[in-house]
Amino acid sequence: MIYIIDHNDSFTHNVVHQFSYFSKVECDNFDKIDPKKINKAKTIVFSPGPGAPKDYPLSSKIYKKYKGKKKIIGICLGFQQILYSEKAEIVEQNKIYHGFQSEVKVTSDNSIFTKNQKFKVGRYHSLKLKEPFNKNNFEITMRCAISNVAMAIENNKDKIYGFQFHPESFLTENGNLLIKKILSA
Amino acid sequence: MTTQDYLKSISKSKKPFVIYKSNKGFDLYTNFSKKIVLTNRNIHSFINRISKNKSKSKNTDLYIGFFGYEILNNLIGIKLPNQKGLKFPKGIFYKPEKKVSLESKLNYKNEDLNHLSRDFKININKKLYNKIFNRFMKKIKSGKTYQIKICTKYLNKSKIDPIDFFCRLSKTNLAPESFLIKDKEFSIISCSPENLITKKGNYISTKPIAGTLKKTKKLNKIKALNFFNNNIKENKEHNMIVDMERSDLSKICKPGSVKIIKKKIVEEYKDLYHYVSLIAGKLKKNISTLDIVKSMMPGGSVIGCPKISTLNLLNAQENENRNIYTGSFGYIKFNGDMRFNIIIRAILNYKNYSEISVASGVVIDSKANHEFNENYIKAKALIDLYK
Repeated sequence: MIYIIDHNDSFTHNVVHQFSYFSKVECDNFDKIDPKKINKAKTIVFSPGPGAPKDYPLSSKIYKKYKGKKKIIGICLGFQQILYSEKAEIVEQNKIYHGFQSEVKVTSDNSIFTKNQKFKVGRYHSLKLKEPFNKNNFEITMRCAISNVAMAIENNKDKIYGFQFHPESFLTENGNLLIKKILSA
Repeated sequence: MTTQDYLKSISKSKKPFVIYKSNKGFDLYTNFSKKIVLTNRNIHSFINRISKNKSKSKNTDLYIGFFGYEILNNLIGIKLPNQKGLKFPKGIFYKPEKKVSLESKLNYKNEDLNHLSRDFKININKKLYNKIFNRFMKKIKSGKTYQIKICTKYLNKSKIDPIDFFCRLSKTNLAPESFLIKDKEFSIISCSPENLITKKGNYISTKPIAGTLKKTKKLNKIKALNFFNNNIKENKEHNMIVDMERSDLSKICKPGSVKIIKKKIVEEYKDLYHYVSLIAGKLKKNISTLDIVKSMMPGGSVIGCPKISTLNLLNAQENENRNIYTGSFGYIKFNGDMRFNIIIRAILNYKNYSEISVASGVVIDSKANHEFNENYIKAKALIDLYK
């Protein structure tokens, strides 16, 4: 079972439907976490949402509790939530992407995706990861093809994955394949 | 009886009635056996009761009426601060005992000529609009919202004949979701173009509008489509509404069943073109009417995105009640089928005060001046009626 933690977002149920192609999914808002469900889950997903990771200390707590014990996936705010919990800085960016389709590129040899592959994705983020970001076992594996902003992270040791873009958006090509791949990783 | 005679006689009879645009023309509902004024206390039981009411099916086996903006907020757990305004009911539904089909050309002559004032007051001037605009822009930069709609209100004091208004409006602006409610103390006249919910059996669809272009002589539908498709700002604004409505539907639909049926098409109206999509899905089992109302309302395209955080920002900003504006009008049948619009392009006339509310979306690359003017374009077809 996959447990999706919602952050009062308006895209979360697209995420729920996307993961439902591959497994049973449960979803609760971040302030109404069900301890039984979360314990039962094999994978925890942090949903997109408004604001910044610092607004959701409960989600950071959950991340720290289950890191290394369950697969963890973060999307948009969820991606930032993982990084923030790993002491990264999340900052405002000059050029803001809301509802924007742009190209990302796989930039790492160690990624579960093929290096140099490019594809179109839907983006909804005001904030971004401040770089440099160095943390054991974490690697930035995709970047915006134009601005170079970090678009995906992988930690294949602890099975932690995150996308700054939205795999569930209708603007993302092959979003289901991306999810399938990280679920079977 | 001709439509003209019928409208004349119902006007004389002073009976409350409702008119709603149908495929062929209009449907008129009247002879109300019940009138339910909604409150936070009775709304749950009211909605839940309707579709359990399984008697023989007649074409009047339905409740028709509206949910105001405030009660829809309350229904999803969002409280509004104390606001000033007309103190208008939060929602009203009627049980009709009679339904009459009217042709699409509504003719009606108002003999007792209106004493119309053309004097409109606007509640937010350009300067204040700019201030609110900049405040919301900061919220966009910090990620609290990606799109937010600033609402402005035009106010007028005069006695109107709502049937006359509605007939004139439907001549110039035959909108697919237009409606009229005429009751003793108030009337609502709307040329809403936007369908929020069409539900038949387990099929449900929504048809959000995001993107407005003022008509000019040089434009036609194809050129308007080219404009929208090539305009990055309009595209982004529309995209996020499509993803949000997909998600709202996904809450109540079977996984994998939510599809974009029409993607980014153009519809033509009297003064403007709209950029529109149609999204549909198949409802999960055991989804109640209340579940549907709560996941779809208030309609996201007129609020902004993400919905809850944006509603909270709006409510903290607005010190006047929106009343009917961005609520929903429509009906719920006893068999659970329903049709609802989003109440926009509407006149609320209550105790001889008219208010017309409009809003336009602020996204990261919006310009305050442009959005302020867009609000006026949207109100124009209605303001023109006061002539």
